Amino acid sequence: MALLGQRSDVGEFRRRYRWIVLTAVVMFLILVGRLAQLQLVQGDLHRAQARKNIVRERSLATTRGVIRDTQGRVLAANRPSYNVHMTPAEVDLSETWPTVVKLLALEEPEKGELERKIKEIQALPSKGLTPQEEKRRGQQILLKVDVDRDAVAYLETHARELRGIEVSPQPVRYYPYGELGAHSVGYMREVGAEDLVRLEERGYRAGDRLGAVGVERRWESYLRGVRGFKKIVRGVSRRDDVQEVEARYLEEPRRVEPIPGRDISLTLDIDLIASIERAFHGQLAGAVVVVDVRTGRILAAASKPSFDANVVSGGSGVKAVAETFRRLNADPLKPSLDKTISAAYPPGSTYKPFSALAALADRLLDPTTEVDCHGGYEYGKRFFRCTGVHRKVHLHEAIVQSCNTYFYELGARVSIDKLASVGLDYGFGVKTGIGINPEARGRMPTRSWYTRRYKEAFRGGFTLLSAIGQGATTVTVLQLALAYAALANGGTLYQPQVVRSIETSDGTVVQDFPPRVRRLIEPDQEHLGWVKAALEGVVTEKNGTAYKERSRDVDMAGKTGTAQVSHVTPRGVDPGKVWYFNRDHAWFSGYAPSRSPEIAIVVLVEHGGGGGKNAVPIAMRVVRDWQKMKEKRLSAKDDAAGDKPN
Amino acid sequence: MAVAGRMMFRRGPAVDMKLLLGVVAIATLGLVNLYSATSVYADTETRARLGDIYVTQVYWMVVGGLLAILVAAIDYRHYERFANLVYAGGVFSCSLVFVLGNSMRGAVRWIQIGSATIQPSEFMKVLLVVMMAKHIHNDHKAEPRTLVDLAIPGVLVLVPVALVMAQPDLGTGLILSLTAATMLLMTRIRRRTLAAIVAAGVGVMWLGWNHGMKQYQKDRITSFLDPEHDKTGIGWHALQSQTAIGNGQMFGEGYMQGTQNQFGFLPDQFSDFPFAVFAEDWGFLGCLLLLSIYCFICVYAIHVASQAKDRFGAALAIGIGALIFWHAIFNIGMAIGVLPVVGVTLPLFSYGGSSVVTTLVGLGLLMNVSMRR
Repeated sequence: MALLGQRSDVGEFRRRYRWIVLTAVVMFLILVGRLAQLQLVQGDLHRAQARKNIVRERSLATTRGVIRDTQGRVLAANRPSYNVHMTPAEVDLSETWPTVVKLLALEEPEKGELERKIKEIQALPSKGLTPQEEKRRGQQILLKVDVDRDAVAYLETHARELRGIEVSPQPVRYYPYGELGAHSVGYMREVGAEDLVRLEERGYRAGDRLGAVGVERRWESYLRGVRGFKKIVRGVSRRDDVQEVEARYLEEPRRVEPIPGRDISLTLDIDLIASIERAFHGQLAGAVVVVDVRTGRILAAASKPSFDANVVSGGSGVKAVAETFRRLNADPLKPSLDKTISAAYPPGSTYKPFSALAALADRLLDPTTEVDCHGGYEYGKRFFRCTGVHRKVHLHEAIVQSCNTYFYELGARVSIDKLASVGLDYGFGVKTGIGINPEARGRMPTRSWYTRRYKEAFRGGFTLLSAIGQGATTVTVLQLALAYAALANGGTLYQPQVVRSIETSDGTVVQDFPPRVRRLIEPDQEHLGWVKAALEGVVTEKNGTAYKERSRDVDMAGKTGTAQVSHVTPRGVDPGKVWYFNRDHAWFSGYAPSRSPEIAIVVLVEHGGGGGKNAVPIAMRVVRDWQKMKEKRLSAKDDAAGDKPN
Repeated sequence: MAVAGRMMFRRGPAVDMKLLLGVVAIATLGLVNLYSATSVYADTETRARLGDIYVTQVYWMVVGGLLAILVAAIDYRHYERFANLVYAGGVFSCSLVFVLGNSMRGAVRWIQIGSATIQPSEFMKVLLVVMMAKHIHNDHKAEPRTLVDLAIPGVLVLVPVALVMAQPDLGTGLILSLTAATMLLMTRIRRRTLAAIVAAGVGVMWLGWNHGMKQYQKDRITSFLDPEHDKTGIGWHALQSQTAIGNGQMFGEGYMQGTQNQFGFLPDQFSDFPFAVFAEDWGFLGCLLLLSIYCFICVYAIHVASQAKDRFGAALAIGIGALIFWHAIFNIGMAIGVLPVVGVTLPLFSYGGSSVVTTLVGLGLLMNVSMRR
């Protein structure tokens, strides 16, 4: 076939063919090896990524649980807030815009600012834009949040004429009672960028809201609910075989329904809180706590001044939130502080029953012990003043008339550590563990505390001050209320509770909170009897400190207090108002009814002056309202019971 | 055809059925795959445009096939005489690009003739193979070649390489260099000379990296070395391609069912990444089949070379085999992430008239040598 000569020419290549074939095959095998790695070894990984590429998880919003009071009235719920947006590129400045301005009552300078934006964006050419400009053209601007129903109705019926104007509902938290009990119920705030790092793993996203204070914060995980999701295939709406595609690419579960948050029933009674609000009329600042002495449940807690939980939760827009907080934080009356638990005050004379119990327990005095009050007490080189000249007083009169001299004598006999230990027994100086807001501990000063605090020798005068609830002794309003509840019920210190039960959205109780005893104090019942008789006398006896302000139809026992305040004016106070901040705190602590107590009440009027004059009337009004409410509810129950046989 | 075949058979040269079968198999798979690659979900306008691509490819296959038959019919030894002329013509048209060329995505590669755009650098690939074969044919020596001996083939290669690199078209330059180098390696070369060439090559690459290359070309290579670094840019292409291939697993998602392709995650799915489409649709087993066919054609080209009557035929067969081989290795290599993303087509799979015609004409030449051994 071929010539030999030609063959020999090809001979040069001969030895190389084998190597070339080998190289080629090896290189193809490398490709095969890599393919095996991608498709067989890592196949599942890549398939997962490929699915992730085409599948989107659209989240389904959940609804936050409702908070109710003890009578089932809604304290916190959800409502849609209708926000109006506009797309500036589509708005007709001459036709649409004036209508919108009128409807939403937009005012200068906001109106001018918006008009400028519209003109600016409409001036952009329709082609050849940078991506940023393109984005700006398509962007929506928020015109107004939470417009009223009439405006929404108008906007929706005229949607076609009002091009570029859009209404979108957004759920917001709604507090029907506004300021009432705002500190306890709490409010919401938006998840901030820095929280998000921490909260993301718990399923929060940017723009979510969570409970900021109060029950909303403490029970956030119950109230919140669980978001659901729906898987969709990207861009599938363009296809005509949606069902088929989804069945093929979406893994089960394709849809998970959201779980609504748990509802929470509180122990609070909003009627009682409203009653406090009315009774407080005319006073600027303070706090009231009413607890059930038989359970430790908090029936009412109010801190004055308050704030509107709707506004701070964002119901009126982001601007209003910032504005309100600026105002709240600048206010020297500290409206955002929960004065029932987050602040500690000197209890003044309302502490005297506990001093008396301490001295009685150590047998340092008995009801026959007599002290002659000349308007004060000499101790060492100092003279400790009394509120008046009470002459010869025993324990009973000393409490009824709030004689300091008697308690100075008591303080001279008793050790400060005994006072503190009885205080601790009644729950002072320790956090109650209510948990809804940051809690102040208060202070029961001891000898070692003074030694540590003042680097000098301990002086007996400190004990004298502690005995009348002054000096370094501080308590919170809640601690005092629970301690008086313990006096009233014969020595049981309860765990304070605000949550009665947790329910699913259909009303099934998931968790119930029975009363929890914190400590059985086991005081000598005879001692307790003497003290309680005196507390009754404060209201019923002619020279009792609460007698003048008593009301005939209110059966209550208790103790007034007028606590001196340290003369340190808070910052930012108008010098013309300094006199107010130097005024004493007015206290009343008590329980009702006096012989078979059901509730304990503590009223604190910050810088209110004398306790008898300022705090007692408030307590009287609240307890009277409580009695009326109780009667009404009892008769309603009887009616209901009476109706049944028919 | 049947009559012509019998006539050829009688005269001596007979159609090499093995090679023909291999080529037809690749071309068929390529067309079938292109249909899948262009049937993605998109708006009507885009779909219409993609539909045109498939039809155009069929036309080019027909044109290329007819040209291949023509090329195969004439005894290849005649081509040796015209090699100089066609080579010169190729170099001329490559330089013509700079004068008449259409700019597309920052590169000047195409010349518009009527409604067709032609890429002269594609044809240059085959023309260079013919030219190199002619040189090797006339340059038989007993002793190993030195640097001086390699000067002429060196110039023959570097002129078109320089022209395509300037367009700039890194991929074609690479293929031209590698194909010519493979052909030259068939001859005896002194060890020292080889070492010197390798050293010079490294030097040129270093120079090119620092002075000659455009930023986007550098980006392609850096993103290959570290694809995680740039997940949205060029590295993204490579990652999406690997995801598509991995998604194929053993048996594939099924024809026209690959989601990476269907949902538009593969960029240039019909030109640069048809292999990813194929791998996603048909899985590891399909890929094994395709690689086997490519491997068969390359090895078969060497087999043809080893039986060729003369040095020209042998060198020609090696050159065509190398052309197919390097295209396949580079295109698949970049799709599976073992080589950087350089624009190299997959023979008979990638969309492109010039590429299809060049490949088919090249295979026609191989058939020619095979028929006349």
